[in-house]
Amino acid sequence: MVFLLITVLITLVFSYILFGVTGIRVVLGVIFISSPFYLMLNNFELTEGEKFVFSILFGLTLFSALVYLLGLVISFRIAIIATFLVFIIAAFLIRKYKPKKQS
Amino acid sequence: MKLNKNYIQTFIFILVYLFAIYFWSQPYQERKLPYGEYDAMSHFEVADYMAYNDKSFQKLPPYIDLRYGLDNKFKPHTLWYPPPFHTSLGIIEVIAGDRVIPIFLLNTIMSTFVIISVYFVVNSLFGFLPAILSALLIIFSPRDFMPYLWGQWPERFAYAFVPIILYCFYKYLINYSKEDKKPTYLYLTALFLGINLLVHPLVFFHSILGIAVLYVFLAIKKKKIIFNWKHSLIAAIIFLVIFLLFPYQTFNVFSSLVGPSSDTEGKKSIDLLRLFQWSLNPSDYAGSVPPSYFSFREMHGLWTLPFLLIGIIFLVLRREERDVFLIAWLVSLYIALHRDIFGITFFLHRSLSATAHIFAPLTAIGAVYLANAVKLPSNYNKYLKYMIAAVFVYLALSINMASASKMLNKNTYNDFFGTLNQEEYEAAQWVLENVPQSVNVTVLGIPYQSNVLSVTSKKIRWFAAVSQHVTRFYYYLENKEEVLKSKEWYVMLDYTMLPALKDVETFNNMQKFESEALANHTLAYNKNNIRVYKLAK
Repeated sequence: MVFLLITVLITLVFSYILFGVTGIRVVLGVIFISSPFYLMLNNFELTEGEKFVFSILFGLTLFSALVYLLGLVISFRIAIIATFLVFIIAAFLIRKYKPKKQS
Repeated sequence: MKLNKNYIQTFIFILVYLFAIYFWSQPYQERKLPYGEYDAMSHFEVADYMAYNDKSFQKLPPYIDLRYGLDNKFKPHTLWYPPPFHTSLGIIEVIAGDRVIPIFLLNTIMSTFVIISVYFVVNSLFGFLPAILSALLIIFSPRDFMPYLWGQWPERFAYAFVPIILYCFYKYLINYSKEDKKPTYLYLTALFLGINLLVHPLVFFHSILGIAVLYVFLAIKKKKIIFNWKHSLIAAIIFLVIFLLFPYQTFNVFSSLVGPSSDTEGKKSIDLLRLFQWSLNPSDYAGSVPPSYFSFREMHGLWTLPFLLIGIIFLVLRREERDVFLIAWLVSLYIALHRDIFGITFFLHRSLSATAHIFAPLTAIGAVYLANAVKLPSNYNKYLKYMIAAVFVYLALSINMASASKMLNKNTYNDFFGTLNQEEYEAAQWVLENVPQSVNVTVLGIPYQSNVLSVTSKKIRWFAAVSQHVTRFYYYLENKEEVLKSKEWYVMLDYTMLPALKDVETFNNMQKFESEALANHTLAYNKNNIRVYKLAK
């Protein structure tokens, strides 16, 4: 966790130096749309590297796919929040109902 | 201790990747203005429209429809690409609260994601040193950053999925025989494959080829056909669900394939001698792609060739399962690049842009394993390996980075004729905020003569993209008199370029036009040597 925070901090500082507050918000945005998928993948037997890389790829595609579909009927901004909640809930449901592997 | 080593390696990669972001984002770091060819404008337009207007859309707004209305052959006048890629850009625009930097920065992150993918896969299968050296080489790969600069944004991102898809499929196949089968990796393969199609169909084709070749090669290696009905059925369902998410766009892929092609590539004769070449004939692409794009020396650096060949020979001789993975990837790209032999010619040169993704790992492996070619006492092989790696880094920085810096730097696309200047950007922003959506804008002052028209047309199109209004050269309007009598047209006089061109004649003509032709118009915007008129009520 400490290592993760350090790397995120370095990335945020780097983004701030290049693009100011906008840069920071872009990085936080990527974390925001990827984090539900990290929580989902955390329920499977995957390595940390796999969870990290796959969750960003899912965030940049599946998250936005749902935002687009919801954005056809509701505000785009509200669709972003709704999508985040849907995927967070999905992550917790997977955690709750996925059969635990017996050791 | 092992944990610490992993942290240090990850930390080094993060620094390398941040450098990649720095290097690739140079064109907009200081100017903070949109740039690129027509493709770049279209991607910016779609993403920005969603974010700025706070809604998704299916039917194209007029300023996008004007050029892309018929690109979706299955459902004309709708989005021609599946929307996830552009929606991501739009989401980040909303979160970051700015129109230009968020879209361009996220695009840089997505275009450079192949560096993360290749690093991750090579690190997982071959270890840190080949992985970090591969990542370093791809940063300076012109076949990657040139299409990125030109505007082939979704395609760049889509290539990041190829190693991931092959990796997931590989993990499924090699774990299949074990007691604890892991279908999760097959389901992930199907999921990523479906997503890959949504991001760019051409790259989906690469992934399918990769999967097919990897399957055959591993079946030969393991002397066993791996197939499980249950796993395959679930994977197929996952793929179909993703495929059917955006039917207007995914079915457009088939419409485009069966429809008549305007692509000049389709008319080329088939040359069987090409089977012995990796690249394509530059003269077939004269005028659209620079000849250097087809040169190994210019794109990879001639110094990488011996390492690349050593890497391939080493893997072919060793043939461990992980070696078969890379060989299959290489062979699948070779087939993709020679599909013209089977009569499939479209976007052939674009497939070439995937070369560095497999050449870089092979080159790095060739360099790293070269140290094992000779038997040395004690730890000397290890020292030799690090020495070769150090030479590798030196050559990558001194040759590849130096060469890349000439093409990709802070002045790239700092184009007086083709890119909006700050004053024009502000005027376009004013139009967006103050001019009714149904109104079009016609422009005087931007050079329209035939010798510069191909470049200044881009400026007009960027103005349309930023203002979200149909924008046209006044000079090229067919119905000038009607336009001047219409409330549906605003007239913009752009004086910002004339001083640098010392074009007194155009200046005088525009002044006369203002006082005579626009006598019945009202000045709506007057700032930074740009004026916008609308018809007085």
